[in-house]
Amino acid sequence: MAEKSKQTKKILMVGNPNVGKSALFNRLTGGEAIVSNYPGTTVDFTRGEFAVGGIFYEVTDVPGTYSLEPRDGAEEVAVSILHKEKDAIVLIVLDATRVERGLYLALEVVERGYSAIIALNMIDEAHDKEISVSASELQRLLGVPVVATSAISGEGIKDLARMTAKACKTDIARINAALEEKPDESVSTGGCGGCMGCGGCGGC
Amino acid sequence: MKKKLSELDYGDFGTVCEISFNKSGLRSLGVREGKTLTMVTKQPIKGPVVVMLGEVEVAIGLKMADSVFVECA
Repeated sequence: MAEKSKQTKKILMVGNPNVGKSALFNRLTGGEAIVSNYPGTTVDFTRGEFAVGGIFYEVTDVPGTYSLEPRDGAEEVAVSILHKEKDAIVLIVLDATRVERGLYLALEVVERGYSAIIALNMIDEAHDKEISVSASELQRLLGVPVVATSAISGEGIKDLARMTAKACKTDIARINAALEEKPDESVSTGGCGGCMGCGGCGGC
Repeated sequence: MKKKLSELDYGDFGTVCEISFNKSGLRSLGVREGKTLTMVTKQPIKGPVVVMLGEVEVAIGLKMADSVFVECA
């Protein structure tokens, strides 16, 4: 990347519509992306930046998309940004209250070989609805760092910023293998169990 | 009994057993084989059908709903 004095890395925020990408973007960068309570608000991208641990990150708030096969203009924007930035870190934003829905897109992203990190956003709402999501278990299964966040309360935002440096690649075969083994046996794989302390990424 | 998703009545539920068209598009919305769904609303004048998939409400165009087959109890 850039010279040592000013390292800049690119981050693309990707996720389903209405999972809180723009709200999270504003929290991370102090930006002013428009946020509303319905899907399809972001139809073009917004850029911002933040710095942590001496590294500058340029963040792009990408319009929400359900898959990487675009079906409308906003999704086309999202997919073309991803296409252009093959080396960027992809911050996959999931709605913690409906994780399964976003996993399809998440898997599409990691399948294409991007370095990824996952933000389990709206964790405050998941708590309210008494939905429990295990970030560490997701991290173990997917092999990329997973951080529970809430753009509203600010919970986990700092962790997310710090963990961004640990974003890594994974592949479907590895995920399949992780799905087949029992949680307790994870230690023997060489990947860490994901205590969130170190941001270990499962041995990659 | 196997039914088209578009033929389900309000409150009916079933398990998706076959998708005959635009599989990837429906899958990315969460409509996959083996998932249980409940019919919530059918909009009039050939409008979309709205189904509940777990925690998520998904609206599907009538044509797309024609390509989804559901096994009802």
